[in-house]
Amino acid sequence: MKKPLLYAGVFCFMVSGLLSSTLALAQSDPSGKKPITDTYAITNATVFTSPGQAGVKTTVLIKNGLIQGVGNNLALPKEAKTIAGDSLFIYPGFIAGASDVGITRPKDPERPDDFVSSNPSDEIAGITPWRSAVDQFSIKDSKVDDLRKVGFTIVQISPEGGMIAGKTAIVLLGSENSTNILKENTALAANFRGSRGMYPGTAVGVMAKFREVYDNTMLTSERSQKYSTVAGLKRPEITPTYSAMQEVTTGQIPVMFTTSSDLEIRRAISLQKEKGFKLVLTGLEEYEGVLDVIKASGAAVLVKLEIPDDKAIKAQKDDATAEVKELNARVKKAYDDAIAQAGKLEEAGIPFAFSIVGVKSGDIMKALQKMIASGLSEKAALAALTTNPASILGLTKVAGSIEKGKMANLILSTDSLFTEDAQIKHIVVDGIIYDYETKAKKKAAKDGNGAMKIEGTWEYTSESPAGSSGGILVIKKDGSDYSGTITYDDPSGAGKATSDIKNVNLNGSSLSFSFDVTASGMDITVDVSGEVSEGSYDATMTVGEFGSFPFKGTLTPTLIANK
Amino acid sequence: MKKVNYFLAALLGLSIQFASAQVKKGSVLIKNATVLTVTEGTLENSDVLVQDGIIKKVGQNLNAPNGVTTIDATGKYLMPGIIDAHSHLGLDVVNEATSPIVAEVRMKDMVNPFEVGIYRALAGGVTISHAMHGSANVIGGQNATLKHRWGSTDPADIIMQEAPRTIKFALGENPTRVHGRGNGIQPRTRMGVEAILRNGFNEAIQYKKEWAEYNAAASQKGNTALSPVHNERLEILSDILDGKIIIHCHSYRADEIYMLINVARDFGITKLVFQHTNEGFKVAPEIAEYTMGASVFADWWAYKFEVYYSTAYNAAILTENGAITSINSDDAELIRHLYHEAAKTQRYGGMTDEQALSMITINPAKQLGIADKVGSIEEGKQADLVIFEGHPLSSYAVPQMTFVDGVKYFDIKEDADDQRMKISATEMVEPVMIYEGHDSRCMQDTESLFETTESLFLLNQ
Repeated sequence: MKKPLLYAGVFCFMVSGLLSSTLALAQSDPSGKKPITDTYAITNATVFTSPGQAGVKTTVLIKNGLIQGVGNNLALPKEAKTIAGDSLFIYPGFIAGASDVGITRPKDPERPDDFVSSNPSDEIAGITPWRSAVDQFSIKDSKVDDLRKVGFTIVQISPEGGMIAGKTAIVLLGSENSTNILKENTALAANFRGSRGMYPGTAVGVMAKFREVYDNTMLTSERSQKYSTVAGLKRPEITPTYSAMQEVTTGQIPVMFTTSSDLEIRRAISLQKEKGFKLVLTGLEEYEGVLDVIKASGAAVLVKLEIPDDKAIKAQKDDATAEVKELNARVKKAYDDAIAQAGKLEEAGIPFAFSIVGVKSGDIMKALQKMIASGLSEKAALAALTTNPASILGLTKVAGSIEKGKMANLILSTDSLFTEDAQIKHIVVDGIIYDYETKAKKKAAKDGNGAMKIEGTWEYTSESPAGSSGGILVIKKDGSDYSGTITYDDPSGAGKATSDIKNVNLNGSSLSFSFDVTASGMDITVDVSGEVSEGSYDATMTVGEFGSFPFKGTLTPTLIANK
Repeated sequence: MKKVNYFLAALLGLSIQFASAQVKKGSVLIKNATVLTVTEGTLENSDVLVQDGIIKKVGQNLNAPNGVTTIDATGKYLMPGIIDAHSHLGLDVVNEATSPIVAEVRMKDMVNPFEVGIYRALAGGVTISHAMHGSANVIGGQNATLKHRWGSTDPADIIMQEAPRTIKFALGENPTRVHGRGNGIQPRTRMGVEAILRNGFNEAIQYKKEWAEYNAAASQKGNTALSPVHNERLEILSDILDGKIIIHCHSYRADEIYMLINVARDFGITKLVFQHTNEGFKVAPEIAEYTMGASVFADWWAYKFEVYYSTAYNAAILTENGAITSINSDDAELIRHLYHEAAKTQRYGGMTDEQALSMITINPAKQLGIADKVGSIEEGKQADLVIFEGHPLSSYAVPQMTFVDGVKYFDIKEDADDQRMKISATEMVEPVMIYEGHDSRCMQDTESLFETTESLFLLNQ
């Protein structure tokens, strides 16, 4: 938990990673990381080759990063390592239309001494179309494995930044020794966020500025064109902004606008209509009212893979007055409608994929299950995670389904996907197999009301690159809510510090909570989320932007007998 | 033969409806009302027939054509829909405060038809509001004129598309505070405000010339002309100079009002309306002669230094001097009882009923350039109408029904407790702000610009 230690730890971690990657290239492999074979046969598994296809008991042969064949009579080469797939369900690996996994926000450029907020340079104002997400991406980020664990094998990474943040790229969530790049400069990431305290500061300024940048890019191309053919012309002024924007104005790549609400969706579409660029709408959260507008625009759609938080719904009390009940009913309806939207999108015949920018990996499966329970078909859900993004990103030839010749990107699950008990056992990315621990669901300790019992005193340990640490977690029950405290190594010195825990949420056997830590004057929120079973808690702890680490707790038995 | 005609008429009617897209148009016959036409006197016990959103006939003993609803307004008053020439309702962003001139920004981009304040305004008889950019800049953004078609989800459907373009200007303390004191750039004083205006217009003249020269040269064969840089800001200023846009200028003091009149005269600008104009009474003859008048508060002042020298007689003095005068709200609460605000000019200045009502109907319509379409009850005009219980200038007046284009959007008898169109899925109780205090909307989104000043101030503590 100690911040300096944590930094040191992360640093050491990176250095060792670097060393091992160099060594892996050597002929002898003292690290032992080099796989014995790159040929695998997963035999007799239930294979779902693409959305809508029924599962078929068959064998999948992988070689050299590609799917070599799918069928029952494949000749398996001698070097093939066989994985008995009898109890496994195989799906094509997920593809995210937009993601911020592994992305670190670049440092803000320093403001010059003569900085004028009414007329800042493009870079300071957040207009950086020349930037590439590739430069901000690290495959070694611990969030990459968190996301892979959920089933994602390919993502379109979106750069962080201002109104025109830069170009996206498509990467595999694969080997740490590879750049993992599938395609660069795939779209221009844009949004309606203004720059704080300078022009353009608000959405209305952003729209005006976007038009201006667009129009001047066109004029610049025109001038350059003329300059290259006619003699005796003044040199046209080329700027990094106009150069990088040309791929958009010439229609080579689309603009990927982050538009969470229906009004923002309309704003992006109105700009598209005015200027005529190709459009991808991403991060959609509220869109039921504009399905026809979206359809008519022909824009590609990336829905945010998240459902609204249910705090307001849970806070509704049964003993409210009639007036309050009426208001509550409207909030509940808004909540239900929000989750049912994805199903409406399917009904409207708009093929869509998902954006997972700003989405916690751990919440993804639950969100999908809720969307499916509210009307989205499993076929459409799987399509939104495989074939649709493949088509939106231009990857149909190489990914999206389980077919001979496509990239070996697979999900090996213990049950059919989207069911609550399904656990992911292996993920295959680019032919590399990643193993994940699966647990038999144990019978949970229940309290008198049938809910999982979590109140009491827990001892926990957590592992981070800085070493192992631990403390005491106390959970109390007040009414239907939980509260409590947690102790941890004091980041600002010796001994233990204590924080209140908040947002304690128990859903079935899933328990999550968070707490705030102050380290070197910085407030960091730590999120813990995982599964409880019979007095043990197996969870993941996410420490602000530093990454995710294992967190294991044991409930200390009380002296009071269970009733 | 008759049948064929009927068929044709139906077909034509249908195609017209298709052409005008989603905007709803209604038909209704309102009978036996006291009709306050505003421009053509008061008609006792009269009927108004509306067809397809247009006032077809005003008279007595009118009959409703087939399928047209009749409303009996016996004992009630019918007036034209109230028009608010200064509002920030239905806008997601009010200020792009970051530069002294932001003529290129468009409030039409930010229209939010879900804001429940629009319904509240309808409940106060207001059918049209002028959704303005804020007053943080010397030259602010382009405004939108809204028709309160509550229930529309497409912003385009509540924008009065046929209204002319207008733009926000602001003089005095707001722009000098934001840019001069907040950011240390021009304008720091009222002199700076004038310099920004004159420099802006002069640059626009040069810009226009540059493009004209380029366009002339580019059509010649074998030319070596390269296009100038596109500058939306200067293009809009140049449109103002060409008389294509009406200026609505936030102003308080007589000297700054007179200054802008002089600037406008120097640049040949005649489409100019002053907003707030608290010291307008000192320069009323000049406002009358050179501008499209003033839009003022009935009795609101002293919320900052430049607004101390004020009087409730302002509207009456301006009117008596021949200036087109309107009363506005600039506020989501005040907009609900603009008829009370208009009535104040009778207490302070002895305005007649017609003069007082003009200030919230035909006069703001003139200032927005839409007086040929709305603002009075006349045959051929758009059917924006309000039925009142009690005379609208009485303290006991209560609006009963409000129509826009002949469609009823408010009926006191059908008024539900919760009229919101959009509900947050994640908030138990959404914050409701009725009174936000003056200047809160006008100066919305400017907070970050004061950070420097504030930190300097704290440094000196």
